[in-house]
Amino acid sequence: MFLQILARSLAKRKSRVAIAIIAVLMGASMTSGLLTVTNGIEEKLALEFRKFGSNILLVPKSDTIEVGFPGMSFGSVTEQRYIDESDLWKVKKIDNWSANILGFAPFLYQVVQIEHDGNSQNVVLAGTYFNQEFPDLIIGDEPWITGIKKIAPYWSLEGSWIDDNDNKSLIAGVSVAEKLNLELGQLITLSYENPETREKITEQFTVAGIVSTGGAEDSQLFVTLPIAQKLSDRPGKVHSVQVSALCIACPAELMGEEIEKKLPYVQAKTVKHLVSTEMLIMNQLGRMMLLITIVALAASGMGIMTTTMTTVIERRKEIGLMKSIGAENAKIAAIFLAESLVIGTIGGLSGYLLGNVLAQYIGKTVFGTPITPILYILPLTIGISLLITVLASILPVKRATMVEPAIVLKGE
Amino acid sequence: MKSQILLKSVTKNYDAHTRALNNISLKISKGEWVSIIGPSGSGKTTLLNLISGLDTPSSGTININDTEITSLNEKLLTKFRRENVGLIFQQYHLIPYLNALENVTIAQYFHGMVDEKRAQVALERVGLGHRLSHRPAQLSGGEQQRVCISRALINEPSIIFADEPTGNLDIKNGEVIIKILKELVNEGHTLVLVTHNMNIAKQGERIIELVDGELSKDSLEAKDAPLAGVISEYIRNEKTHGKNLP
Repeated sequence: MFLQILARSLAKRKSRVAIAIIAVLMGASMTSGLLTVTNGIEEKLALEFRKFGSNILLVPKSDTIEVGFPGMSFGSVTEQRYIDESDLWKVKKIDNWSANILGFAPFLYQVVQIEHDGNSQNVVLAGTYFNQEFPDLIIGDEPWITGIKKIAPYWSLEGSWIDDNDNKSLIAGVSVAEKLNLELGQLITLSYENPETREKITEQFTVAGIVSTGGAEDSQLFVTLPIAQKLSDRPGKVHSVQVSALCIACPAELMGEEIEKKLPYVQAKTVKHLVSTEMLIMNQLGRMMLLITIVALAASGMGIMTTTMTTVIERRKEIGLMKSIGAENAKIAAIFLAESLVIGTIGGLSGYLLGNVLAQYIGKTVFGTPITPILYILPLTIGISLLITVLASILPVKRATMVEPAIVLKGE
Repeated sequence: MKSQILLKSVTKNYDAHTRALNNISLKISKGEWVSIIGPSGSGKTTLLNLISGLDTPSSGTININDTEITSLNEKLLTKFRRENVGLIFQQYHLIPYLNALENVTIAQYFHGMVDEKRAQVALERVGLGHRLSHRPAQLSGGEQQRVCISRALINEPSIIFADEPTGNLDIKNGEVIIKILKELVNEGHTLVLVTHNMNIAKQGERIIELVDGELSKDSLEAKDAPLAGVISEYIRNEKTHGKNLP
């Protein structure tokens, strides 16, 4: 009987029910749409942020020794330490955030002399990975590849990248290239004097590319890591590693801690300004979406409450009749709440579908990319819709239970 | 005979300036047909609402079937109505989106158990066996009132309260309804009926007249020709006030 009352009542008042469903649908579609967009673009935005470079820097921990006599300090001496290249794969194999490690690039620096117009000029030479393959590190079905190309897509390169097996090419920073009038394809001679052995090594390289980053890289030269290690006689060593970590909720510190666990002699420093900017933008975006959702849901709730209240007023004779023939307040409330739940479910379901259409539109027009529908948002949207519908129905239902049959059933 | 309905000094004020009923005391026995008459605004419907448990008095006590309903809270009063009272309205008050059968079974639903077969029998008894699936809008006024009577009877109440049950019906349909009500009284139901129609009022064995919220006449207390006394007085009063009579 209850279901008959419910079904017939809803069928009888199609227009009112439709208005209430539209009210729920508006709130639900905004909720579903914005949740989908927020989730969909968080990852895309995080990937976009990664184009601005690494956000974690690994350097070896170093001990500082105070030098002097009692009462007289000569300053401190810091021992030069390195990170072992053979340990670098561990960065990708951290316990919890492995999938978030998008890439890294090691750096080994030394000052070299470049012969130019009969003069020699000191320049910083960095050895690194450009697109290094790790045959033993299989991600998916393929060996993992990392290097500058992966972590620094913002590098603007004229010419071509260097293959990691190429030991005869280099990439010059744009400032160095301008100062020394270097051109693509030009052959240049570099020499490095070992400060300990005083042995001087000279090598010739071809300028394969000229890079512009707007940073310190513009004043440096880049060769493959083995070449840099060979020149300075530091085989298997690197000074630092730049890591690009995808951080949607930006737990860069946590990732750093995990790397430190794997490489205890390494210190992980997060690039604070980049991480905090990422977090700030993410948080602001999340708050804005939340605010819009709350406003939409509040408007939806007001719409539902108004419609339900109107329905209660319209049906006060019916309510009075039910009470006069023995309906308790709980049964009257159950009828109205059940109607609200049906409206909430239909509105929530259709709102989820409309929200996905909305999300696709926003994704394509604002972010230029489709956004994948997220299934868990369906029960969430329906749940929120039901909650809003029930909350908005409390006052009208209370009003319904307060109907006095003797007053509303008076003959006209 | 033991009173089934007992009112003691019942007064109903709607606000500080409006007194609908003043100090009414009344006894109604089981199986009686009591017609309540009186001019508009005399308090007939208010009295019916009070003794049917739809409303509560401002003072005084009402005792029905050995239960003092004036001391019951809203929940218990609802339960009392459900179990003891059948209501018949001038406006029928059928639920428009339910068919005739469902309009009867809804009273069973609130009582606790739905028995469609019994509801069908109840409708067949009032001659609506062929109109079970019709909605109120598809039924005539007389048919709607018969559905209303079936609904009032479905939970087997001991007392039936009818407020102008033929007020919206033509003579023919009115006669059908009165015939059904007579049968109910003959079966032992107590009937308290409010009406303007003297022809209907005099079908009962007792007539009570209300004037300005006070019990003006009770045919039970008129020693000689009790009904005729109240009726002739009522007709005289109505003529004095220029009202039309049936």
